[in-house]
Amino acid sequence: MLDAQSHFEQIRDTLPGDGQARAATLAAAEAVGLPTRRVESWHYTDLARLLKSGEATGVRTVDFAGVKALEAHFENGLLHGEPQAEGLSVAPFSNTIAHTEAPSPDTVMASYNHALAQNGLTAEVSGTLAQPLVIRTSGTQPVHLAHKISLAAGAKAVLVDDHMATGYANVVFDIHLGEGAELTLLRSQQAGHQVGLSRVTLEQDARYKSVAMISGGTLARHEAHVTLKAAQAHAELHSAVLGHGLSKAATHADFTYVIEHQAADTSSNTSAYNVLDGNARGVFQGKIIVRPDAQRVDAQMQTRAMMLSEGAEMDAKPELEIYADDVVCAHGSAIGELDRDALFFLRSRGLDEATARQLLVAAFLEQVTTHIDDEGLSEIMRQLVDTKINTLLGNLSGEVSS
Amino acid sequence: MSSLLDIKDLHAGIPDKPIINGLSLSINPGEVHAIMGPNGSGKSTLSYVLSGKEGYEVNGGEMVFDGQELAQMSPEARAIAGLFLAFQYPLEIPGVTNMTFLKTSLNAIRRGRGEDEMDAASFLRLAREKSRALGMDDDMLRRQLNVGFSGGEKKRNEILQMAILEPKLAILDETDSGLDIDALKTVAEGVNALRSPEHGMLVITHYQRLLDFIKPDVVHVMAKGQIVKSGGPELALELEKSGYAEYVGGAETASEGSPAHA
Ligand SMILES: Nc1ncnc2c1ncn2[C@@H]1O[C@H](COP(=O)(O)OP(=O)(O)OP(=O)(O)O)[C@@H](O)[C@H]1O
Ligand SMILES: [Mg+2]
Repeated sequence: MLDAQSHFEQIRDTLPGDGQARAATLAAAEAVGLPTRRVESWHYTDLARLLKSGEATGVRTVDFAGVKALEAHFENGLLHGEPQAEGLSVAPFSNTIAHTEAPSPDTVMASYNHALAQNGLTAEVSGTLAQPLVIRTSGTQPVHLAHKISLAAGAKAVLVDDHMATGYANVVFDIHLGEGAELTLLRSQQAGHQVGLSRVTLEQDARYKSVAMISGGTLARHEAHVTLKAAQAHAELHSAVLGHGLSKAATHADFTYVIEHQAADTSSNTSAYNVLDGNARGVFQGKIIVRPDAQRVDAQMQTRAMMLSEGAEMDAKPELEIYADDVVCAHGSAIGELDRDALFFLRSRGLDEATARQLLVAAFLEQVTTHIDDEGLSEIMRQLVDTKINTLLGNLSGEVSS
Repeated sequence: MSSLLDIKDLHAGIPDKPIINGLSLSINPGEVHAIMGPNGSGKSTLSYVLSGKEGYEVNGGEMVFDGQELAQMSPEARAIAGLFLAFQYPLEIPGVTNMTFLKTSLNAIRRGRGEDEMDAASFLRLAREKSRALGMDDDMLRRQLNVGFSGGEKKRNEILQMAILEPKLAILDETDSGLDIDALKTVAEGVNALRSPEHGMLVITHYQRLLDFIKPDVVHVMAKGQIVKSGGPELALELEKSGYAEYVGGAETASEGSPAHA
């Protein structure tokens, strides 16, 4: 992991904005330090240990270069190319988010980001983007990025976060969806150590859909705070993890959500599908908050894990905090192994055992991929899943490696 | 003529529980055999043992299919050799479409036989033709495998798989259960379409009704893991009237006074 202070000294001259304020924020963050397992929201992700021991490697299996897309490419924090399109306006990066509160262990990673953010995409969408907007993150250096994406009323966009950086990355997305705006955020992490936070607010009739696929890298922590502020706002968060690797090279993928229904007639739908082999660990923490007066809220949350090895682990912790009485909230969690009967059925139809296993794993993850409406993008995700299953899990041992 | 399937004194079951107890049965190419028998007599177990399901073990006897002893073969090798089981309880597999599954299956079997894979267009034509013949909507090919299918639709889908794979020997485990009269006829037509001098069938059923449409050459009664009686189609009619009391033997069952198939 990086030594934040010396990293700051190194890049200080290149950072935009008020250096003094950054130094103060960093000092406040350092005083709190990295969250430990005693912090509830980090209970299953021992960040200091993971950053120390995990190998931040990854293999790039697919890329989005094939799709016709707008691209902002951050390489070691430097932006190459500026996406230009009708309905899109991109502003130079500035580090302006008010961050006055003193950090707590729960928020300290956001403070580190605020102190050290080198770059980020600041984009406003005012119409319908004809092509997906791809944010590509690559490189080997530690990097802090802060993206600000705002959709005006009625705007529509598909955003792709293609994460291939092999080092440590702390990435914050601040997303605002105006009335009736629609955003799909497709996230793919194929490498590295990523600590991510997205703060999403939705106005009336806005729709937010995030589909995340973790197929490589050793640490993926994706925290999302979604606030549904007005009627008919709808949020969907779907995640897929293809976890693999032994001991220090094992995937650790943590999705931690807080979904807050502030207004009546809002809805959310969350699903998490984890395939865990080797010593991979999946974590899902989902908290649904329904504020008083937020009547007729419909909130659904599903966690499913397919355990392929005895050395793998899944922790699922759904939480409901409901202050209104007329709501439909449900959460379910199912953790199991590959279905032996399904395996037999497929083999009885001529598929060899390895092919049958691969098909069942792919079918399991398809339940996330299927949420991607854009055909080109969903095809890339399918390719990614198939290739990963073939190469990494081609010898899906199911054998003990604890 | 050498038999298509020759089972001799088969003993099989799950660990510590014998279920098939010295069963013998021989099916010649072109023949349709029916097995009837009370619940729990081991009919599904026989079908699983023949198709190689994990967890079932063979403790004695032989089962020779088309000249090959099955016991040591993997389930996929048996499928490639031409054995097919229509499951009593078809599974749902979300995330894979019926079409993809059918194509993967057919091509796996063709590859296993050293044949060329079928190209996408020819396969599509074949799948459409076979599914229409079974009165299935094209939509059912696009849907996820058995997900949300009604009981009867799942059974039809098993027959669709059979129609596409054209196995040498098809074992149908209660494919008729849960079918309405029209579906029963359609399924029977599907089965009859596969009848030929080379193909054999083993039809497990509780009801004579199916056998009105699929005329069996031989009817067997199975009880306690054995074939206790074999005869012509008239045996099925007899069973329909008198039940299994005579075969299950134990005075206990008889004294309960209820037909075992009720
Ligand atoms: N995996 C298993 N574990 C435990 N018991 C089993 C298993 N498989 C079969 N049996 C038992 O073996 C016996 C035979 O079961 P089987 O399913 O073969 O009967 P069947 O003749 O097909 O009955 P039905 O007409 O109800 O379908 C039953 O008592 C059943 O409970
Ligand atoms: Mg049965």
